[in-house]
Amino acid sequence: MRTSKKVRLTPIYVALVLLAAVSVVPFVWMLATSFKHGSDVYTKVPSLLPLDRKTGDWSPTLENYDHVLQVGGLGQAFLNSVWVCLVLVPAKLLIDALAAYSFARIPFPGRDKLFVLMLAGMMVPTITLLVPRIHVTQQLGMFDSGWGLIIPNVASVLDIFLLRQFFLSLPGELEEAARIDGAGRMQIFWRIILPLSKPVLAVVTITSFIFHWNDLVWPLVVLNDPELYTLPLALQQLASSESGRAYYIMAGAALAVVPVIVVLLIFQRRIMQGIAFTGLKS
Amino acid sequence: MIRRVTGTAAGVALLIGLAACGGGSDKAAEAKTLTYWMFQDRTPQAGEVVEKLRTDFEKANGVTVKIVKIPKDDYNTKLGSAIASGSVPDVGILDQPLVSRYALDGTIKEMPAGTVDEKAYYEGALNTNRVNDKLYGLPVDHTAVALFYNKKFVPAPPKTWDELKQMTAKIHQDDPKTAGMVVPKGDGYGAWMWPGIVAGAGGSLVDEKDKKILFDQQPGVDALQLWVDLLPSSPRAITDSDKAFENGLAGMMISGPWDVANIKDQFPDLQFGTAPLPYKTQPAGNIGGENAVVFTKGKNADLAWKWLAYLTNSDNNTKLSQALGGFPTNIAAAERDAATFGPDQAAFLEQLKVAQARPALPQWIQINDEIIAPAIESALSGKVTSQQALSDAAAKTRALLGWTG
Amino acid sequence: MAYFIIFLLYPALSALYYSFTDWDLRTDAAWVGLANYADLIFDDVKYPHFWKSVQVTLQYTLIAVPLTLGTALAQALLLNAIRRGSNVFRLLLFLPVVTAEAAVGAIWRWLYDPQYGLVNSFLGLFGIPGQNWLNTPELVIPALAFIAAWQCGISMIIYLAGLKGIPDSIREAAIIDGATPVQRFWRVVFPMLRPTTFYLLVTGVIAALQVFGLVYVIFSGGGGKSVTGGPEQSGLTYVLHLYLFAFRYDAMGAACAMSFILFVFIMIITALQFKFVKQEAS
Repeated sequence: MRTSKKVRLTPIYVALVLLAAVSVVPFVWMLATSFKHGSDVYTKVPSLLPLDRKTGDWSPTLENYDHVLQVGGLGQAFLNSVWVCLVLVPAKLLIDALAAYSFARIPFPGRDKLFVLMLAGMMVPTITLLVPRIHVTQQLGMFDSGWGLIIPNVASVLDIFLLRQFFLSLPGELEEAARIDGAGRMQIFWRIILPLSKPVLAVVTITSFIFHWNDLVWPLVVLNDPELYTLPLALQQLASSESGRAYYIMAGAALAVVPVIVVLLIFQRRIMQGIAFTGLKS
Repeated sequence: MIRRVTGTAAGVALLIGLAACGGGSDKAAEAKTLTYWMFQDRTPQAGEVVEKLRTDFEKANGVTVKIVKIPKDDYNTKLGSAIASGSVPDVGILDQPLVSRYALDGTIKEMPAGTVDEKAYYEGALNTNRVNDKLYGLPVDHTAVALFYNKKFVPAPPKTWDELKQMTAKIHQDDPKTAGMVVPKGDGYGAWMWPGIVAGAGGSLVDEKDKKILFDQQPGVDALQLWVDLLPSSPRAITDSDKAFENGLAGMMISGPWDVANIKDQFPDLQFGTAPLPYKTQPAGNIGGENAVVFTKGKNADLAWKWLAYLTNSDNNTKLSQALGGFPTNIAAAERDAATFGPDQAAFLEQLKVAQARPALPQWIQINDEIIAPAIESALSGKVTSQQALSDAAAKTRALLGWTG
Repeated sequence: MAYFIIFLLYPALSALYYSFTDWDLRTDAAWVGLANYADLIFDDVKYPHFWKSVQVTLQYTLIAVPLTLGTALAQALLLNAIRRGSNVFRLLLFLPVVTAEAAVGAIWRWLYDPQYGLVNSFLGLFGIPGQNWLNTPELVIPALAFIAAWQCGISMIIYLAGLKGIPDSIREAAIIDGATPVQRFWRVVFPMLRPTTFYLLVTGVIAALQVFGLVYVIFSGGGGKSVTGGPEQSGLTYVLHLYLFAFRYDAMGAACAMSFILFVFIMIITALQFKFVKQEAS
């Protein structure tokens, strides 16, 4: 039994290793480049290690990181991004979940029409919405401020759609049972729906965190004050001023990726917990 | 229920918004704050130079200058959104071809008489700010492209097209792994350089006064044919590589003065030289550079003009323009500091003397990107002859502009 | 609700209004009725590359969406099949998504480099001659689609969440019935994943039709070179084309009209998808 299981799993692992290699190689190159001395990037044989171009010696350096933190202003931008995401992601999660739940479970007149309308809104390319949205943000007095980054992004149709799909797939018996026990809507939502939705909530958290962590266009047009710049914006500035110096850009990018990996590690477990449909035979 | 939930959310949002208004940074600071937008630095020393100019100006005038640096690629996106939503800077950089458009629709202010002495500037650079004989801005720097050559392959730079063709062919013959030259492509950037080549055959692109398209005539066809002829000894598979010239994979390339500093910084071992562009009948080049304008909806127009005059005066203009990767537009500054430019910059200065301004047509950017660039590309890829490509492009341009000539 | 109106509906409606005007962002918009729409569709002097951009986008969508979803599903199934090391693999496969856009452009321009690129070195191992990926019109779209598939981590995570949501009891029942793994996949797993697949397909198509950031970073080489959509406009996607008119050629009115042409198209496609799924279900 055990050996047969091993034999069965071997090809799966091989396939995974191959896929992972494809995913990781560009990433490794990014890290390696961020530790390379300037011109060592251009080697005739692509090198995934920070080696000296002429001698092939092992010669990593930290000067690129030093440079981007000193000159590129990435330190401040890093803190700004952390702050924005810390406020934005939880707020977004709550609002999206409530909205999705009402679209999934609470019948109100015109519900489905409204939902389709929202979906439609998602299909207008954001570039065209940019100008009017800036206009609104300005009217609300949030231009060139942290709030201007947060408030206009606090609800996402995409996430509401995903959550609604998930809530619809939950068996109704649970809620029925709770209602018979006399629980109110909010109680059901808090006590039953949310705990069951941990995996999908984790997904929404991760996706929206990544999206806002890397979002460039909106901060670009809303912010003028370099003190408020978020990381992607600072990175874009860096890519522009250090055009052609891949090693600086890669150092900046590597700095931007590390916190995301941390967040991932935290939420990975959540997804793993899975859902126990115990006592529910539909 | 849903109504209550969303109502609460909206209420919270509103409260936060109000809090942001009340407790946020107060935008209406003291009366004299000037906002200046510029492109993100392109040279290592730019940051310090601009910072010093700013603090000196603040001290001398008792005002605050807020400088916002924006990546060049994103500049027009940000500026366009800002204008549309009414939050323009007081003063800022504007691409040369945009000046005429912005001037004609009143987005930027005409320069008051007596702001500067017009004779203090190079005429070509100043004229890129001139619309209907009125000035709408000042040239902060100007620049041109020239020929970079690798001394290992090119003992003496070619002066004429024929020499250029021979040299290119020889380099590739000697070593098939090396391209003779990085031939420009049919993209926006290549189309921006191309007028300099056309002028080298004695031609120009359009005649604005008589509303005639000229780029499909013989000089234009010859200029495009030159690139087509250079291509066989300069395979794209080599020249499309990142930094092909810097890595010694190509013997020559066309680029601007900003690359001199970059090559010295990143490829200190490369033995290269710069020379004026080879020509067919007469030396010629193209012109680029940055103009700065004052926005109608901005505040403190007087102070804004003062700032621009200060950036372009003979004391400051050399430092600033060099930091921006170009040359001073102020004649006194350029002549005084000529000795400090170094041998590598001499070629660009030569080019500036014979540089041709871009057509001052509001639609020029679009024509450059959407008509001329594809025409160049289709000739380079061998799909059509140079004459066909340009005749076709000329027809499209006429239709777009409503010209008959 | 108020929020939704302020930040989504109002911008969309004002963009719709502008699509009937000639507007350069600076002066007052001049009403031109349906002229923008008519010109876009019929006037190839004013908009010589409009249909080219439609074609490029459709090609990209047809290649990128199946490739991305297929890769994501394969990865999720493999991950779901193993116990040991799944955390590590999941993280590795997810890394590409969290890479900042500015870095993605730099990384892949280098990987596809005709001289130093890793892609060509890798193909060289199998005796395949090196290609000039990003400068050969026929190869641009596949090259872009591959990057999209490389970044399929979000879809993978959503698939994983879906897989975890399949109750073990159902799976066990199938095993007891003696179904082979392949049968199990087609009869149990795949149907159970239908809502997930549907969500990913709808959002994936919408995203692919609006692809912009990727082409923007790949084709903006820096150094003052403007983005004009790759060799012979082979990478000129619809939204990149729209962006150029909005912010580079001063024709926001036409850009808004492009938006709504795309909008209608996406609505039709999405409606068809919904219909198709409904038929499947009945």
